[in-house]
Amino acid sequence: MSRARKMEKPVVTLSDAAKLEIIRRPHVTEKATMGSEHNQVTFRVPLEASKPEIKAAVESVFKVKVTAVNTIRVEGKSKLWRGRPGKRPDFKKAIVTLAEGSKIDVTTGI
Amino acid sequence: MQVTETLNQGLKREYKIAIPASQLRSKVDGKLNELGQKLRIPGFRPGKVPMTLLKQRYETAVMGEVLEESVQQSSQQLMTERSLRPASQPKVELIGEFKPEADLEFSVALEVIPDITPMDFTTISLERVVVEVPDNEVDDSLNRIAKRQRSSEAAADDYVAKNGDIAVIDFVGSIGGVEFQGGKADGHYLELGSGAFIPGFEEQLVGVKKGDKKTVKVTFPAEYGNSDLAGKEAEFAITVNEVRVLKDVPVDDELAKSLGLADLAELKKQARERIEREYGVVSRARVKRKLLDVLADKHDFTLPEVLVEAEFGAIWQQIEADMKADRLDEEDKGKSEDDLKKEYREIAARRVKLGLLLSEVGRHNNIQVPNEELSRALIQEAQRYPGQQQQVIEYYQRSPEALNQLRAPLYEEKVVDFILERAKVNERKVSPEKFAEEGEAELKGRRD
Repeated sequence: MSRARKMEKPVVTLSDAAKLEIIRRPHVTEKATMGSEHNQVTFRVPLEASKPEIKAAVESVFKVKVTAVNTIRVEGKSKLWRGRPGKRPDFKKAIVTLAEGSKIDVTTGI
Repeated sequence: MQVTETLNQGLKREYKIAIPASQLRSKVDGKLNELGQKLRIPGFRPGKVPMTLLKQRYETAVMGEVLEESVQQSSQQLMTERSLRPASQPKVELIGEFKPEADLEFSVALEVIPDITPMDFTTISLERVVVEVPDNEVDDSLNRIAKRQRSSEAAADDYVAKNGDIAVIDFVGSIGGVEFQGGKADGHYLELGSGAFIPGFEEQLVGVKKGDKKTVKVTFPAEYGNSDLAGKEAEFAITVNEVRVLKDVPVDDELAKSLGLADLAELKKQARERIEREYGVVSRARVKRKLLDVLADKHDFTLPEVLVEAEFGAIWQQIEADMKADRLDEEDKGKSEDDLKKEYREIAARRVKLGLLLSEVGRHNNIQVPNEELSRALIQEAQRYPGQQQQVIEYYQRSPEALNQLRAPLYEEKVVDFILERAKVNERKVSPEKFAEEGEAELKGRRD
């Protein structure tokens, strides 16, 4: 028996439009394709999206079962633009692990 | 590749070709792989793009490419395997709709070049007319040269100008007392009787001496180029500065030397050669025409319809344009369109026949147009466009088809030469008058 208090499952309430907002676009790179062997797909999501929100959004939009969501915040690179320092926007990647038997064709797009 | 012959009739051939889907598949995959090696897609290093992604994005495009390629390749293979020589571009048609996973089936329809057995050229006997250039024609030509070379010299002060002399004059022309534009000149060299000025002008100057002043009244002809002056009466006030006499240059060694030749005999020889060459060109054209007549007569083979149609189409287009512009030959005017069509179809057939025959003879005997001759022709062609020679030459160098068009007549000449060498050619000497007469008689009533 663990002494930790059991956490309550977060309740996500999102409208259909908001769900579509969360899944910005698939993130297609060499690294992301490596995940496809483990039934993982990668998306770009808004910085403020939480894992439960992402899970709910992916499940309802693609009609699949999600077992886990990992997210990474990626800091935008700082660039010099015309001699002045600038910064590319930060973004968040979400690596979504799908339950066995579920599949998303990433490249078809939304 | 599976080939079935579906039609073999006369010169027409039709084949059905089937290419199995697996063959196409492997070709497409190979191409995609190759593409993946150099393709740059954001998020991937070159050569690391996964196949699935490549397929998704590029499969249809690559498939189209492969289809086109394999259709072309297999038709090519068909030609070489069955040693077909197509008379024109083969017509390729897809059978049914193409589905990516199904076998590719298409038909190839074409007409082949007929088998031509050239006749034995040694049995041809022709007559070449050689014109004997009479001495007087050479002399005429020399006189013409001399006339171009003659110079004038000032005559004595009291010399009276006559026709053929040159008067150096100042003149001021006026109409109704008003000077008009272009009617004034100083120190103009006018050869009397040459007809360079308006009629009546020169005649009135006959009989003047150096220093004379004279007023000449003339009427401009009604059809004079400048409409302001046409038909008007004009007065010219003339001062004669000088009268010059033309000095005839005698036909002698001096003349030859002034032209850069050793002596008169040399000049004569050259003049004669030039005249002979001129006749030679015409005579050769006649021999060639006769030869073509013989060839067309002695050969009989089926002609590929496509070629005849194409040739006829080209002729008919011209005729129709002529018809619209009312430029038809007198002979053709009375004929109905059907008759004309029939007539020109025959001409087209003859041309195709001779064209095929000549190219066949050339091919068999390995006749080629040397590059030097081609470049000479190219330069000649370029000189027809003064100021743009460079562009013309570049154009031909860039487009092989255009160059072939230049080559074709040279090639034809070569083949004709080849046949003429073998044929029996008798020479017959005639006078120039007879030569011209015969040429006209020959040309009468023929067009080809």
